[in-house]
Amino acid sequence: MAKRGKPDNKGISPAQWVKIRKISQVVFFLIFLALFFWSRREFYLNPSLESGFTEKLVNIPLKLDPLVMIAQAIASRKILRGSMLAIFTLFLTFFLGRVWCGWFCPMGTILEWIPIRSWKKNQPSVAEWFRGIKYVLLMVILFSAIFTNLTLLFLDPLTIGYRTLTTAIWPGLDKIVTFVELQLIRVPFLSAAVGGFDSLIRPMIFPAHPAFYRYGLLYSGFFISLILLNSFAPRFWCRYLCPLGGLLGLLGKVSLVGCEITTSCSTCGKCVPACPTGAIKDQDKVFCDPGECTMCMVCAENCPGDAVKFPFKISKFLRQPYDIERRKVLLSMGATAVGVGLLETNIAGQVFAPSPIRPPGVMNERLLSTCIRCGECSTVCPTNAIQMAVFDGGVEGFWTPIIVPRIGYCDYSCQACGQVCPVEAIPPLSLEEKRKQIIGKAHIDQDRCLPWAENQECIVCEEMCPIPEKAIELELVEVPDGEGGIKILQRPVVIRHLCIGCGICENKCPVSGEAAIQIKVPSAGNQNGHNHHGWQ
Amino acid sequence: MTDLSRKNFLRFLAASLGSLYLSGCMDQDKFLSRSGLPEKITPTPFSPGTENTAEVESTVEPAESAIQESSATPNPIFPDLVVARQGDPEEMVRAAVTALGGMGRFVKPGDVVVVKPNICTSYHSYEYAATTNPWVVGAVVKLALEAGAKQVKVMDYPFGGTAEQAYQISGIQSEVEKAGGKMVVMSNIKFIETAIPDGKDLRSARIYDDVLRANVLINVPIAKHHELARLTLAMKNLMGVIYNRPYMHANLGQRLADLSTRVRSHLVIVDAVRMLMAHGPTGGNLADVKKADTIIASPDIIAADSYAATLYGIDPEQLGYIKKGVQMGLGIKNLNKLNIKEINLG
Repeated sequence: MAKRGKPDNKGISPAQWVKIRKISQVVFFLIFLALFFWSRREFYLNPSLESGFTEKLVNIPLKLDPLVMIAQAIASRKILRGSMLAIFTLFLTFFLGRVWCGWFCPMGTILEWIPIRSWKKNQPSVAEWFRGIKYVLLMVILFSAIFTNLTLLFLDPLTIGYRTLTTAIWPGLDKIVTFVELQLIRVPFLSAAVGGFDSLIRPMIFPAHPAFYRYGLLYSGFFISLILLNSFAPRFWCRYLCPLGGLLGLLGKVSLVGCEITTSCSTCGKCVPACPTGAIKDQDKVFCDPGECTMCMVCAENCPGDAVKFPFKISKFLRQPYDIERRKVLLSMGATAVGVGLLETNIAGQVFAPSPIRPPGVMNERLLSTCIRCGECSTVCPTNAIQMAVFDGGVEGFWTPIIVPRIGYCDYSCQACGQVCPVEAIPPLSLEEKRKQIIGKAHIDQDRCLPWAENQECIVCEEMCPIPEKAIELELVEVPDGEGGIKILQRPVVIRHLCIGCGICENKCPVSGEAAIQIKVPSAGNQNGHNHHGWQ
Repeated sequence: MTDLSRKNFLRFLAASLGSLYLSGCMDQDKFLSRSGLPEKITPTPFSPGTENTAEVESTVEPAESAIQESSATPNPIFPDLVVARQGDPEEMVRAAVTALGGMGRFVKPGDVVVVKPNICTSYHSYEYAATTNPWVVGAVVKLALEAGAKQVKVMDYPFGGTAEQAYQISGIQSEVEKAGGKMVVMSNIKFIETAIPDGKDLRSARIYDDVLRANVLINVPIAKHHELARLTLAMKNLMGVIYNRPYMHANLGQRLADLSTRVRSHLVIVDAVRMLMAHGPTGGNLADVKKADTIIASPDIIAADSYAATLYGIDPEQLGYIKKGVQMGLGIKNLNKLNIKEINLG
């Protein structure tokens, strides 16, 4: 990147380096956003896209994320094409330290840029051992990956970014823009302008019809709490919690280029509170912990005496009291084994709870060991059918994709989720194959269905059914017409062997509340390969 | 940020929110021309040739009633309905519209024209006869532009899949763009709650703004099988311009007729080039498709639908919406009373 070698007086000044870094942060943040919008738009325009280009491009950020790629490779026992990009990040960290955190990570950028007042005034009162949490989390994630569990990947900063954008920020913004538009379009002299504005932003940025995600408050709450933690210490998440930061920190400790406080230091101590991650300590002497340093260069900018340098050298692993040691490693390993084991003993929950409807082609067990919880499938799903599970799929299925047909149906002409999934947890299928995937079966509730329960005319489910032969048939029956005579009424019946469970019937059913026709996952031993016991 | 500027900012915010709120409180009907009531249908016969010119130019309201009345009595000069057969789609459309008196009878120079094909899903290409034939739509766009239309917008609101994809897969997008028209993706915010004063059951609906504002609406359905309505034709095609469609299904016939009183089709062109005989409206099976190479054109939506029904061997009387439409005075279903011109291009 732009940053190479050491800054010196003749070249670029520390203040300029900080400026360059900020530009890099903004640029990469914008790229992250642009890829997000672009993925959404491309698949919205053409949900059966099979170019291979779009999804490769939009997945670059995640493929660069070494935590996700390593954990995923361990859990799925398979090395993905493109996951080698993560090695690039590891190399970069080995050479330059945690530049990922200070220069590129969109989460880090948000946490650095969102101002919380008490930042500069309060010295962090958080105990130093908190820094160990990120290493423990890292260990737990990697060990549970050995047991094919990836649940805690929901704590990866990039997956947090994607999930929050998809399910909270973007639909929330859409709602606000829509609200303002709806108010303004009623003002006579503005309505044409609003209409024009609307056709500019839809469907390019926002969808033509509002996107809807369950639990928007939960996702935004999670995200907002990460930001609010900043009031205890700047970049609280990055310092203490981020497991990716932990991984890069371990490597950063031996990085070739690192922050060094040289002997010309006057020990004025100005750099200590200035450092946004608190990497600079003023103990016997002023020094910087390279495992915590994000190469942001704010220290050099604040140094009155030009004592902070970033030299190229071979450094040895500098142990800190909060660093993870053998005992902690073994402890987290044991705890992880016990934790994952206990999760797996929840046979009652796994056998008797309704199985969640998964996206087409997904095998439940395989999904749990491959899905990285990024939510990109949910981002590109043009009908909003794919939602993130909370406890719908058991605790270990936290924030994995499920289909909620009442919110959105699985579009018969779409295979976007399988194409975009960066880890093939949702298999990439051709449209022809995807149309044959059985994700569930429709069941009619005859006590609520209008023609069955109330002798009213309604054939919406049959009309909507995309199967060429129609997986819903209409039986003709004679019923009283309420005026003493009889009338012929059509009543829907599901042709079970034709139904693929796309859920458009449930989605469009005009009965209020729960639909009178619902998709249920067929019982165990079905094509979805549900295996309720043990780790594969 | 100083205290002063913050205070001013808050004041400004409060003022703008207040004005926004007030503007929201305004009675729409009084302020918006488009929400004004459509002109009442009067039973007086309409003299041909002068059609919609006066009304169209004097007001932004589409002059629905003018054309409506023209079909109330058989037209002495132009046929009420033209059927063209055995040509290629564009030829048939051109021949039919020419026989009706030319597109200039419906579209005046400078008009904004909305063409409403049936693009119900993104599932299949046009061969499956679930969406209107793209060359028929293209021909309509060309004719409207040749008649001097300022802009021709083509739109539908598919119930399955995204509109963008449906436009592509149906082939309609490419033909419309070649012809010089514009495909419009219907946006949620432009479905405006609109009163339907002549409606018996459906008294108001969220109707698409562009359709209400257009000078001319050309309804270009494809003739398809449908389990509840039996056939989906021009009147059923108008369901694509409203927002809450599942609601329509109860009492479908009456509600479709009600909708047609507010959203008038100035010209109806039924595409029966390929007819979907079963498993409609979504289709997907070529065995259900019958090639009929027929185009039906009429300014009378009831007449057009009635004629199309006979292609399926169905008595128009059996279609609920035709029956209700006749009761509402929307047109003539008795084909014997119509001046029908048949053109065979084969």
